[in-house]
Formats: sequence, structure tokens, C-alpha cells
Amino acid sequence: MTKDQTPHLVNAEIHLGDATCPNREERAHGINVYYGKASELLRDARSGNLKQVDRKFQQTSGCTLNFYLTVRVNTIRDAAIVYHAPVGCSCPSLGYRELFQHIPTSMGMPENYDLHWLTTSMNEKDMVYGSTDKLKATVLEAQRRYDPKAIFILTSCASGIIGEDIEGAVNEIQPQVRARIVPIHCEGIRSRLVQTGYDAFWHAVLKYLVKKPQKKQKDLVNVASMLSYTWQDRLEIKRLLGKMGLRVNYVPEFASVEQFEQLSEAAVTAPLCPTYTDYLSRGLEQEYGVPFFMYPSPMGFSGTDGWLREIGKYTGKEKEAEAVIAEEHRKWDPKLKAIQEEFLHIKPNGEKVEVLGALGQGRLLAQVPYFDELGVKSSAAMCQDYDNLIIDELEKVIQQVGDFDILVNTFQAAEQTHINRILDPDMTLTCPFQGSAYKRLKGVTRVHALRGDPNLWAQQSAYAGAVAYGNFLLQAFKSKSLQQTMKEKTADNYKAWYFEQDNPLYFRDNDEPVVS
Amino acid sequence: MTEAEPVPQDIEIRYPEVVEAPRWTCSLGGAYITSTGVYGVVPILHAGAGCGIAQLLGVYYAAGENAAGGQGGTSTPCSCLIEKHVIFGGEDKLRKLIDSTIQLMEGELYVVISGCVPALIGDDVESVVREFKGKADVIFVNTAGFKGNTFDGYEEFLGAVIDQYLEPRKKKKKVVNILGVVPFQHVFWKGDLNIAKNLLAKIGVEANIIFTQFEGVKKLKEIPEAELNIVLSTWNGHKAAGKLKEKFDQDYLTFPSPPIGPKQTSEFLRSVAKKLKISKKEVERVIEEEERHVYRFTEYLTDAIIIGLPHPYAAFVGDANTVIGITKYLANEVGYLPEVVQITDEPPEEAREWIRRELTENIESAIKPDIIFEKDTFRIRENLRNRSFQVMLGTSLEKWPAAKEFGVAFLSVAFPMYDRVIVDRNYAGYRGGVALLEDLLAKYVGPL
Repeated sequence: MTKDQTPHLVNAEIHLGDATCPNREERAHGINVYYGKASELLRDARSGNLKQVDRKFQQTSGCTLNFYLTVRVNTIRDAAIVYHAPVGCSCPSLGYRELFQHIPTSMGMPENYDLHWLTTSMNEKDMVYGSTDKLKATVLEAQRRYDPKAIFILTSCASGIIGEDIEGAVNEIQPQVRARIVPIHCEGIRSRLVQTGYDAFWHAVLKYLVKKPQKKQKDLVNVASMLSYTWQDRLEIKRLLGKMGLRVNYVPEFASVEQFEQLSEAAVTAPLCPTYTDYLSRGLEQEYGVPFFMYPSPMGFSGTDGWLREIGKYTGKEKEAEAVIAEEHRKWDPKLKAIQEEFLHIKPNGEKVEVLGALGQGRLLAQVPYFDELGVKSSAAMCQDYDNLIIDELEKVIQQVGDFDILVNTFQAAEQTHINRILDPDMTLTCPFQGSAYKRLKGVTRVHALRGDPNLWAQQSAYAGAVAYGNFLLQAFKSKSLQQTMKEKTADNYKAWYFEQDNPLYFRDNDEPVVS
Repeated sequence: MTEAEPVPQDIEIRYPEVVEAPRWTCSLGGAYITSTGVYGVVPILHAGAGCGIAQLLGVYYAAGENAAGGQGGTSTPCSCLIEKHVIFGGEDKLRKLIDSTIQLMEGELYVVISGCVPALIGDDVESVVREFKGKADVIFVNTAGFKGNTFDGYEEFLGAVIDQYLEPRKKKKKVVNILGVVPFQHVFWKGDLNIAKNLLAKIGVEANIIFTQFEGVKKLKEIPEAELNIVLSTWNGHKAAGKLKEKFDQDYLTFPSPPIGPKQTSEFLRSVAKKLKISKKEVERVIEEEERHVYRFTEYLTDAIIIGLPHPYAAFVGDANTVIGITKYLANEVGYLPEVVQITDEPPEEAREWIRRELTENIESAIKPDIIFEKDTFRIRENLRNRSFQVMLGTSLEKWPAAKEFGVAFLSVAFPMYDRVIVDRNYAGYRGGVALLEDLLAKYVGPL
């Protein structure tokens, strides 16, 4: 591989004195427009030639606030949220009272689970005169109504453009408020990369919520969970670490504010998704000496082996980790073998089946090797964005499974439909954000289940999850009627000429000056 | 941090717009979701990258878990504005987006819907749109998220169509337009509109329901052909109807909501027939036949009603359009005792008197409900405390409080509705009442 020539790959230091984090673009040279070989992407990244370009045609795909940051913060149990935004920015939170309600209390759902959010509904007057007074009044109202442990303030494009002094308002009002006020700078216009929103969230958590450790808890493992991990995944991880004599501190989803405060006391921070957790992990190490590791994630058998071993290393539980790994393998290996066997026989000529999924970059690193483990080929992949946080690991993945095509786009439905048509994989792993890409003749299934799903078959993490999802994927190969019928019976939304082009990035804007 | 000090409780007066979980989105969202109800329209968002996907999560899914279709959700073109556009302007980006959208996406009318960012940075959207004259039909809706809510956005979309797209046409007898049912926001919109169309067809009236129709853009152009606009709302669609009256001299007739169940439906047909001078005899024949059939079917439900839970005290929470019709049906035909009705969509003052009248004078039960206009989910819950109701009809925001705090039977009937899947399920027309009872009784009737 080309020698690293970039001035820096990643700005590692975190400045908690600042109001917010740097954007992913600055911190790790993040981009979300690319189509080519993964090896080319890597080479461009190493040589500093990876540039963000514009698209002429673009589709709505999520901003730093509204790509599930809302929903994630919504689930923090004893907190309240204030959206300092026009009323539309918070509408994804209308599902807040439904999110985890289908989980039985016998599986750990608290009886009194209740969540609250307010919006300042910024209006025309606010645009002219500013509205920090209203923001302050709303925070006080949240305190009065709910008496929460923390009040998160989520900002918006509008509050950013008119230059609201959020920190000033927070400093002024905090002495009157029992809850800790936690402003998160997630103005949609600040960055093209939705992951900037996660960094902004962790920045605020580190700055305002995490407390100095009162005592170190040697058996406590921080795990930052993602929406694409289900309730059963949490239980399974808890079970595995429990067998090693360890306890899990899951944040942010469904966590209590106290769990955030204690993040500094843990023995290690372990990832489910490395780039989602990255900012938090680095911050906890820098500020409180909590070590962390980025890879692997507990996805697939070897990923889970490695994950448990890393945790064992940091907690002095190496032996326990080996015992758990051995025991779990005895239980699950035959089931994995049966799945591998079945995948071998899907195609009559003995070729491997090809899958194409749209993933976060972190998930890409874990899922491609997992599919390799199942005996499933990923000769192409789509990911929401790319940044240098994953540069070394991407190189390892390429070495391990071979080169593959990569389309970097944040849910650009037309491009995703295009690549599905052109490559025509045996199975496309999709989600609602790919628009009509599901209409096809071959297989379609979901790329992952959702957080509130308490069913065993929706597991995806660790050994049990690797087997459950493997079986789910096999199940998908038995079904084609939905996508075929819809393809045949409904109209296309894109014109036919587009699918005759080689490159899904047909509308790459070559006139616009390149920005880094 | 010190102990919390007492806080003045007058936020309602100082900042009436501060609210927990209001049951609507912004005006960009309203115009956008409305545009996707017209088949053949391609919306183009001139806005931040999250503005469209927010509506997928917060409106389409909240409207009975609907997918957004080939022009909605992440399929919607968007200029995805960022900081550099705030500094240098977003017009060039918009120009390229409109041009590429016309090349790529199938459509007959392209509607640029602009959000907060272009409004704040002063983009001249109108000039950019004008450049496409002769190349494709493109209009623009000057919304901004901070300018209003879903209902304003609905009017803004229709207003833009009327001002920029419609031409006068010769009026046709017995042709009407239906207004006032806001796509997705009124969760049963697809069913309600189609039921209205089918009902009117029975008395020889052709209804242009605009939404859910193939050749939807043609339907837009045909709006001026109607001799009458029928507005199925105490306040939605009134602005559009006013504009149409001004521009095309179309008269309009308003109803408090889509008609739910036989009594309201017969009244609806009689009023329209009277206005359009349709033979009374013919209308009465239709009504008699329909009523005979639907009441015979209602007989199948009476054991469940009478043994399950007869004459229950009931609480209603939802937008005016949904709640008025449902409350009246259950009170006037099923013996429900409406104890409290909370109207959540903030109707203007001038509509409130009518709403109050509908829910008192036009309710036949011995008790008249407390009528509360409240949009704040926290206060809505407070207003439900210390009451006797045994059944609640509301939104999925009320579902878990209904079960856990109030312990009553519950059915979601209004937006947001994350707990049901609705395509064209609806409670309108003759059969609508029976359909409502099928859904509602299933929530509390055990084995008989």
C-alpha cells in the first residue's frame, strides 16, 4: 500500500473547552461521495487525494440532527429534550412514546418508562429578534414539568444561522435549574456527514454529563449501542459479559443519566460500531484514562471472539474470556456450520451467493468479514460515508476478503437503485432509505432489525446473533414474490436512460470547486 | 447547581408556541407531504439535507406507518444546503438540482418547496424557477419551517398551484372539488377522499378529489372546472377555497368534517343535493337504500356493544377534522357519553365557535363534553386526569398513558398514529361507522 503522505489522518485530540466538536470532514477527512474500488478509495485516502465533491442531483438523506440523533436522545430515560428549532425538525420524535413499548417488562423494560420533549417552535419573530429568552423559558418549563436529571438542548439550522448564543443562555440559566443542561450543536447545515451529529452528541455528554470518577469500577464495560442493535442484542451481550464476571454500561439508548455520569469509572469502552463510539471513547481516555479499543465489533464469530478477548485484556479476564469463547463455540459452531452448508447449496453451480448492503462505515467493516464467514460474497458495498477513522481497518478487510466496489453515499436512493440494477446481486440488504431499490427480481431483505425488536430471530450480535441473522438471510433466499410483483406492477420513478449509464455517480458535479 | 427555584408558570402566555410534542410538522413539511399526494408531482426540496427524511420519520410513518412512495422520503430531490450555501447562496445549487431532476425523475409537474435556510439567506427561488419556463412545468412554494405548520403548508401548496399553474376553464355542471382533507396529517385521507367521491357519484355528482388520482396533475388543472368546492373541515382548505372563489368565482360549501356513519352521511348528501339542485326524490332513494343496508349490518354489532361496554364515558383527543365526526357518530348513533374532547390542531378563533357548536348542539346525548383546545401533549395528559371515561380515542401519543395510567380501552384514530397501519382504512360514509366499531370494539370486547 502507498505510504501515508497526508499531513494528518485524524485529529485525535478532543477540546472539551469548545462548544462543540470539529466536523468529521475536518477531524478525519470524511466524505460522502465516492464510487470505485475499495483499494482505490484507500489509496486516495492515504495519499491525501480524497476530496469531497458535490452532486448536481441529490436526495434528502439526513442531517446531523435528523439522522436518528433525535430518536437516540429521545430514549434517555430520566432526561427531557428541548428542540431549539422550527417545529418540523422535531417531528421524528413523535414516536417517542412507542419506541421501546413493545418490550415486555419481564425483559427489562421499566414499568414507568416515560419520555418528554418540548420544542421552542421558532417562528418569524424569532428570526428577527432572536429567541434565547424563549429558550431559557422553555428549559425552565422542562424543569418545572418533568424534574428530569438532564435537559438536552438540540439546535437547528435556524438557530445556527441567526447566531443564537446557546452557551450564554445555558450558563445563565443553569443555576436556576436542578437538571444538568446539555446543549448539543447539531445544526443541519454544519456538516454533510451525519456522523458529525454523533460526535456533537458525545462532545456534549463528555463536557456536561460525565462526572469525575468517584471510584473505578473494574468490572464495568462501557458499550455504546446503535439503533441497529436490538433489545435481544443487549441481553445477549449482557449475558456473555456476565459470564466473564463483568457488567455492561449501555449508553445512550434507554440509559439513565446516572449511567452517563459513570462512564468515567469503567474499565474499558468497547465498540458496537467503532466510528459511532470513537469520539466518546477517545474523550473518556483523554479525560479520565478509560482505555478503549475500536475493533473488532461483536459481529460474526471471529469478530465476537476478538471483541471478548479485547475486553478480557482490559479487565484482567483473559482466562474467563477464553472459557466463554470455548463454551459458546461448542454451542453455536454446529449451527454456523449448518448455515454455511446451506449457503453452499443455494446456487446449483456451487458459486457463492452475492449480497449488496447499505451500511454505516463501521458496520461495513464488521459485516463484510461476517458474510465471508457465512460463505456469502460481498463484491460491492455501499456505505453512508467514509472517513480516515477506519483507514487501517479498511486495509485489513481488503486484505482479508479481497477488493470490492464501494459506493459512498448517504442514502442517495437513485444511486442505490442504480447500483442494485447494474450489479444485480443475489440479495440486496435494504432499508426504507433506499427508495425503490427493493423492486427487483432477485432477493431482498432488511439489512438489520430495529432496536425495539425483542424477538430472538431479530438478534444480530455475538454468536447467537450471527446464527440468527444467518438463518434470516437464508430465509430471504426462499422469498421473491413481493419485490417481483412490485417491480412488475408499479411504475419506475427514474427514467430508463439513467440505468444505461455505467456510473451511479452520473450527476457528480465536476464544475463545482472541490472542497475538502 | 443549586436547588431548583420556583418557575413562573406563565409560559403559555409569554410563548404560546412552546409545546411538548405538537401533532404537526412545519409548513415545508405540510407542503411537501401534500405534494406527494398528487400523483405526477415531483417535489424538489430547497432545504437542509434532513428536512425530507424528517418528514418520512415524523409524518409518513406517523400516518399509519406509510411508506413515502417513489417521490417521497429519500427519493425526494433536495439541495441539501450546508454552510457554504449560507455564505455564498444556494441558487446555483437549486438550478442544477431542478435541471437534473427534470432529466432523471418521471413527472409532469415539479414543485420547488423551500425551507428555512433559503428564506434566511435570501435566495431568489422565484427567479431560478422562472428560468425553466418552456423546459418543464415548475412552480415554487415559498414555505419556510419557521413560517407555519402542516396546515399552513397544505394551504401554501394549493395556493401556489392556484396562483402559478391554474388557468380559467369552462365550468361543468355537477362537478365539485373536495378540499380540507390534508394528506397524511389526516391519517384516513386516502379512504375519506375516495369515499366522498363514490358517495357523490351515487347522486350523480362528479368529485375531483385531486389526491390519490392517476393523472393527478390533470386533476389539478381541472380544478377550475368545478361549479362548487366542498370543504370537509371547519378550517382546513378554507384559504384555498377563498382563493378559488376570488380567482375562478367558485362557490363553496363547508362541512365540519368528512361524514362518519349514516346520519352524517345522509345529511351531507342532502346538503350537497340541495346546493346543486339535484332531485330530492332521487337523493332520498339513495339514502334509503344505503341506510337500510348499513343499519341491518349494524345489528351484527349490538350484542358486542351492549354486553361489552354499553353507553361508556368516552374521552377524545385529536385534530378537529377527525374528532368531530367520530364523537358525533359514537354519541348520536352508538350511545357513547362523550365526557371530554380535546382538539389538538389549534384551529383559528373563528372556527372554534363552530366546533363548539358541533360538539354540543349537534350531540344528542344527555351529557355534553368538556371541549378543550389543547396542543400540548403534557397538558393533554393532565386534562385527562380525575375523570370517569372508560374508553379513549386518541393518537399513539395517548396509547401508553391510556393503558398504564388510565387503564382504559383505547383506539388510535388521529395523527400521529405509529401503532396502526393504514392504507385506505377509513370511517367515512355509510359503512364508516361500522368500520370504526369493528376496530374499537375489538379493543374491549372479550368472548361473548
